[in-house]
Amino acid sequence: MGRPVVITGAGAISAVADSPAKLHAELCAGRSGLKAVELFSTEGIGCHQAGEIRPFEPRDYLGERNLRPIDRTSRLMLVAAGQALEEAGWTAEVLAEREAGLVLGTTFCSVHTIAEFDRRGLQLGPSYASPFDFANSVINAAAGQAAIWFGLRGLNSTISAGAASGLAALGYAVGHIRAGRAAALLAGGAEELCFESFLGHYRAGRLCGSRGGAGEVPVPFHARRNGFALAEGAALVLLEDAEAAAGRSARVLAEVLGHGSAFDPLGTEESGAGAVARAVRLALEDAELEPGDLDCLSASASGGVETDRREALGVAAALGGRAADLPVTAVKSMTGEAMGASGGLQVVDLLGTFADGPDGGRLSGIPGLDEVEPGFPLGGLSSATRPVRVRRALVTALSADGHAAALVLGAPGGSG
Amino acid sequence: MTSRIAVTGLGLVTPIGAGRQEVWEGLLAGRSGFAPVESFDTKAFTTHLGAEVRGFAPAPWVRRLEAAALGRASQLAIAAARMALEDAGLDPEAVAPERAGVAMGTTSGEPREVERFDDRFLAGELEKVGAEFISLYPCHMIAAHVARELGFAGPNTMIPTACAAGNYAIANAMDLLRAGRADVMLAGGADAFSRITYTGFHRLGAIAPERCQPFDRNRKGMIPGEGAAVLVLEPLERARKRGARIYAELAGYGLSCDAHHMTAAHPEGEGAARAMERALADAGAAPEEVSYISAHGTGTPTNDRLEVLAVKRVFGEAARRTPMSSIKSMIGHTMGAASAIEAAVCALAVAEDRIPPTMNLEEPEEELDFVPNAARSHPVRLAMNNAYAFGGNNASVLLRKAGT
Repeated sequence: MGRPVVITGAGAISAVADSPAKLHAELCAGRSGLKAVELFSTEGIGCHQAGEIRPFEPRDYLGERNLRPIDRTSRLMLVAAGQALEEAGWTAEVLAEREAGLVLGTTFCSVHTIAEFDRRGLQLGPSYASPFDFANSVINAAAGQAAIWFGLRGLNSTISAGAASGLAALGYAVGHIRAGRAAALLAGGAEELCFESFLGHYRAGRLCGSRGGAGEVPVPFHARRNGFALAEGAALVLLEDAEAAAGRSARVLAEVLGHGSAFDPLGTEESGAGAVARAVRLALEDAELEPGDLDCLSASASGGVETDRREALGVAAALGGRAADLPVTAVKSMTGEAMGASGGLQVVDLLGTFADGPDGGRLSGIPGLDEVEPGFPLGGLSSATRPVRVRRALVTALSADGHAAALVLGAPGGSG
Repeated sequence: MTSRIAVTGLGLVTPIGAGRQEVWEGLLAGRSGFAPVESFDTKAFTTHLGAEVRGFAPAPWVRRLEAAALGRASQLAIAAARMALEDAGLDPEAVAPERAGVAMGTTSGEPREVERFDDRFLAGELEKVGAEFISLYPCHMIAAHVARELGFAGPNTMIPTACAAGNYAIANAMDLLRAGRADVMLAGGADAFSRITYTGFHRLGAIAPERCQPFDRNRKGMIPGEGAAVLVLEPLERARKRGARIYAELAGYGLSCDAHHMTAAHPEGEGAARAMERALADAGAAPEEVSYISAHGTGTPTNDRLEVLAVKRVFGEAARRTPMSSIKSMIGHTMGAASAIEAAVCALAVAEDRIPPTMNLEEPEEELDFVPNAARSHPVRLAMNNAYAFGGNNASVLLRKAGT
């Protein structure tokens, strides 16, 4: 299985909060970041809410350096990356001496930047297209911008898997550290909210309210859920080789015990649930743990009509009897579906649960969950925040296109 | 842990033809894939050449899915994947689905879908945007479509690390196989010719007006292209057990980031050199052991200069003796597909001891062996495939003669 991997820093910005500590506190207080979109007009679209980060003043976080060539996704990404590096003690001086890398999960990076670049060229002629925008039109732009900003000279990769991008990026990064190919990697994801993505997801029938039903119900696992609330954000953790982290006396926030992934090539409920079950089983096998060793689940559920059901069925198939009482949280009930950023947000929230301490752990509830879909095999769903004792946590993520990923985290201090 | 990984199948769709045989013969013959762009009107541009894939019919390759309901990059990728499996003598139905995975790289995903969105936006016809934008455009749909077409349910990775993406995907597949997470991986890259890409490189003044001349003193730039390549990768022992033809072994790889500039390489080729050194260390090989370098060699003044600098830095004296060519002189820059196509070419060079040329090379800028204008027979025991990308990404992959 290779070298043990630990988390030594975290960063997160979302519609809920602009730091990891605030994220966990706000989620536990049940405060949602979903609101009416102001970033662009939703006129003519039958969905109006999203997890928009508002206000977002990049200067408040990023200081006086030139932000002009850096788009919204990259700015969010820089905020989260900066927090994670700072918490882990990877200062500019350390980064000049030692190599750190980055694995970023994102679906689009910035489809808005790409589209604006194209439209400007069409309207004014190709010589008026913006070279800055072109540089950001590649899907790895945010990862490249962060590498330049912080001086990350190690492996720099970008992974796309829709709402599973963040966990997929974490799994990829863990593989590199275990194999001894890297000692320190920022991993997680980023995604911006923009008109192009919003309209597209609406027309694809994925946003809350886009298929009719009463109002907008982006409530995970709810009987009347009718799609997710699209969102934005960035969330990253600093993954380190455990030995190297110990060598520099770094504070460990969590251990990464295992990861797994699978794909559903058929697109049916059964095959979709099957992919989730396989990802979870692979992660447990990788961690050398049994379902009974888990203390909670941070689910991918977003209010998606099909995806929530597949996740519930798949997780239950993998966990057997443990699914009946395993406490479950679903942060997208408050953050919205932030796509590439989602997996990172789930993980960062769990770091908060670990930090609450073994006796004071809190697991956020799922606000608005007053009616679970009948027959769902997950018994540990609650609309209210609960006290929990968490030593090992399971995180799951799935995309609407068939990607499933799972990660097992352990509380710091040798729980594994 | 399985450490040795074999390349057992090659599938290619390029501007000079499709399929291993046709592409390889074309490259050895120095065939050119450049022609006036047909997929959009270039009237407003000062350059008009592109390297498009002409006459591509997805029908014979796309069997389970509906070809018309796929983006072009997905179609190209599926064709390359089917070709690679046939070349490997592997029936996708005979592979355990959950042990078969896909890792693909791309620069732009399906750019034509966002272009269609933009056309509608500017025409005031956004009501015409349907479900297909989100079901086709996101780049992860390329690897997803390949897996859906073949029924592969194992790891599915999409790595959009721009023009080095193919190498990143191959490296990822190698890791997944080594970690025992799959028995067979399809790895490669795909990109569709795009107005957006063309506009961008045109704006940067990077497109050559007439031909692509990597490493020539008078080079005038790159020529955007499209294509796809997929390699079938499996553990060496497993490949031997089923009696598969083994083109080459994957010997190692190295990745690094310049952390210097989004679109320009590091002035001293520092990151590129680190990726090469890391790949050599991973393979346990010395620079002198490399018998062929497949250059990134775009034909832009900056890339080629820095690439040569980096190679000299890593190879020292051996740089002069090591043949290094760029097939982009023939097929243009196929973006996310480029390093996958070049990796397939390295596998063929290793298998057949032949090196494709750098065409259009009249006045070499440096005293290196660029294999000018004619293919060469040369023993190739170890080939290095170099790729560089926007974001300062560098990726080097090494392929070794099987069983050596």
